[in-house]
Amino acid sequence: MTNKTKQMKPAAKPAAKPAPTNVTPAKLHARLAPERVWLVLARQAYDQPLRQVGTVEADDGEMAGVYARSIYDEFAWVEMAVIPRDALRTVIAS
Amino acid sequence: MSEASSMSLPSAALFALIARLADNKYLLGRRYAEWCSSAPTLEASVAAAAMAQDELGHARALYPLLRTLAPEAGVAIGAEIEPETRTHFTAMRALEQPFADWPAFVAANLLIDSALTQIFVAAQASRYEPLAGRSRKVLQEERTHALYAEGWARRLAHEGGAIHAATEAALRRFWDETLCWFGPTSQAGEADVSDPLASAGVLDATPDELRLHFLAAVGPTLTAAGLALPLRRVAQTNDTTAESDAWELTAPLPWDRWDAATYHLRAAPEAETAPVAPAGASVQ
Repeated sequence: MTNKTKQMKPAAKPAAKPAPTNVTPAKLHARLAPERVWLVLARQAYDQPLRQVGTVEADDGEMAGVYARSIYDEFAWVEMAVIPRDALRTVIAS
Repeated sequence: MSEASSMSLPSAALFALIARLADNKYLLGRRYAEWCSSAPTLEASVAAAAMAQDELGHARALYPLLRTLAPEAGVAIGAEIEPETRTHFTAMRALEQPFADWPAFVAANLLIDSALTQIFVAAQASRYEPLAGRSRKVLQEERTHALYAEGWARRLAHEGGAIHAATEAALRRFWDETLCWFGPTSQAGEADVSDPLASAGVLDATPDELRLHFLAAVGPTLTAAGLALPLRRVAQTNDTTAESDAWELTAPLPWDRWDAATYHLRAAPEAETAPVAPAGASVQ
């Protein structure tokens, strides 16, 4: 290991985002944007398969469920489920 | 036949209860609706719109009861008991103006919505069947509102800094009025005779008991989020010797500013509230 390498400083941690001083919806929008996308699956009858009806962005499964209920309420579903998109394992990708 | 079931319903108190439930639901729905296109995320906005619809629907289900209760309560049937023409609302001061910011929305969602829910919980087996039936339906929808409030309170508190502080400040602005809104506190041993709704079986809890139920409902969320409100957890042992949690206030409520006739808390002389210790400190 060279002296030059020894003298290198470790990579600085990314600076924490400063807290906004004025909590407006516009400022919150960027700061509070959820990072996880959830697939929303639903079916209208038990003899039908669950199919994807859309997605929501939410921090956790409970909030994803709340959002999914609110947004995809166009039918009287007999079942609705949410699953994090990053839980899917791609098998075939073209 | 129990003592409560043989009593006649307290018409005036029942009319006032339905009126303040309907009015608070109506104004809460209006306040929610004002954020249906401006919440921090699209999903939150749509959910706010759905909650607004729920609240307005609950109000619409309650207002017609005023017409049936009015004659026995000694209230004239007129414009003031019709939802379309009513102008004098017996709602909390916190709902009279639009929410100042998103933390205020979340604070009202967590505190005021939860407080209203406690009344419906206590009315599920009400002797006044029209309220009992509506309560069971309302509670089905309120579960989603509670999840939304808890999720957003956690999220805002987790951000720290000014967002945490703004959330805590909003909660504290609504705190006293929400706690007082359950009704006046009773003297020791006088609960059954001083509260007409509980003693007649309209509700299965006195105002003091409703306050404790409310603290148990919101206390865990506030504690987990590190939001400093004047309440704490106390361990208690029940009949089966299993230990369970109860919650209590750590600061007195401002009853000198409480107007029992209108269920209104007059504004404090000064806006600032003294700092309090973080919620949730456990005592035996």
